[in-house]
Amino acid sequence: MSAALACADGVGLLMEYLEDVVDAGTRAGIDAHLAECPRCVAFVRSYRATPGIFRRATAVAVPATLGASLRAYLARNR
Amino acid sequence: MPQSPVDGAPDETLAARAAAGEDPAFEELLARYEGRAYRLAVRLTGSPADAQDVVQEAFLSAYRGLAAFRGEAGFSTWLFRIVTNAALMQRRGRKRRPTLSLDDGLPRFDGDGRHAAEPADLEAALRVEERLDREALAAAAQRAVDALPEPYRAAFVLRDLEEMETSEVAALLGIGTAAVRQRVHRARLLLRGYLGSLVGVET
Repeated sequence: MSAALACADGVGLLMEYLEDVVDAGTRAGIDAHLAECPRCVAFVRSYRATPGIFRRATAVAVPATLGASLRAYLARNR
Repeated sequence: MPQSPVDGAPDETLAARAAAGEDPAFEELLARYEGRAYRLAVRLTGSPADAQDVVQEAFLSAYRGLAAFRGEAGFSTWLFRIVTNAALMQRRGRKRRPTLSLDDGLPRFDGDGRHAAEPADLEAALRVEERLDREALAAAAQRAVDALPEPYRAAFVLRDLEEMETSEVAALLGIGTAAVRQRVHRARLLLRGYLGSLVGVET
């Protein structure tokens, strides 16, 4: 991988990179780019944080009545 | 003949016993998965009321389909596929119009493929939990997940909100792992940009 990897190239490969399914040359190219690109470092931080922010924000409380209504429904229909 | 205990038995054993008519085995599967199935349904439909209907339909389908369950993909994958399909059907039936466009959230690059925004702005999404109160962020997040195009939304909910492995999401959706990554990646890009916009930054 050449050192001329652009931010846009790295962004396109980011999920594969984070799941470690890129080849060694691609990984080295992205690592080298990140070592000298503060914008990409900032981008990666916010990209990695996004799933957790949404997971916390959409946390679901299971209603206490779910089990009883589900069992009643199944008893009526099965 | 007394039935053997259900706690501790693997899902697939319980599924086979439930298919043979052992109600305690089905009850144990219900107890193991009703909560997760409900959470998944809420996140996919965006509506607790719809999720309750989805979970009821899904468990009824699972109960009726137990004889056809072969165990190739594992019981939980099989069950969550039924829940996911029921949730997507429910959504299609509603024909709601998206109330939000996420397209502005994609990252911007200059002519050489370099990020157009500065590092501080590129990190704006990290500030959203301290800048918005919990209710406002919860409402905004659910609207945004609702606004994701459907293929991206299901993959994102399963992979990133329900924290399933990419390979499990692939098995559940019946697509390859590369396609799962492509869809989840696209969703993350859109949602990351949306978080930035919530604190007044476009990147």
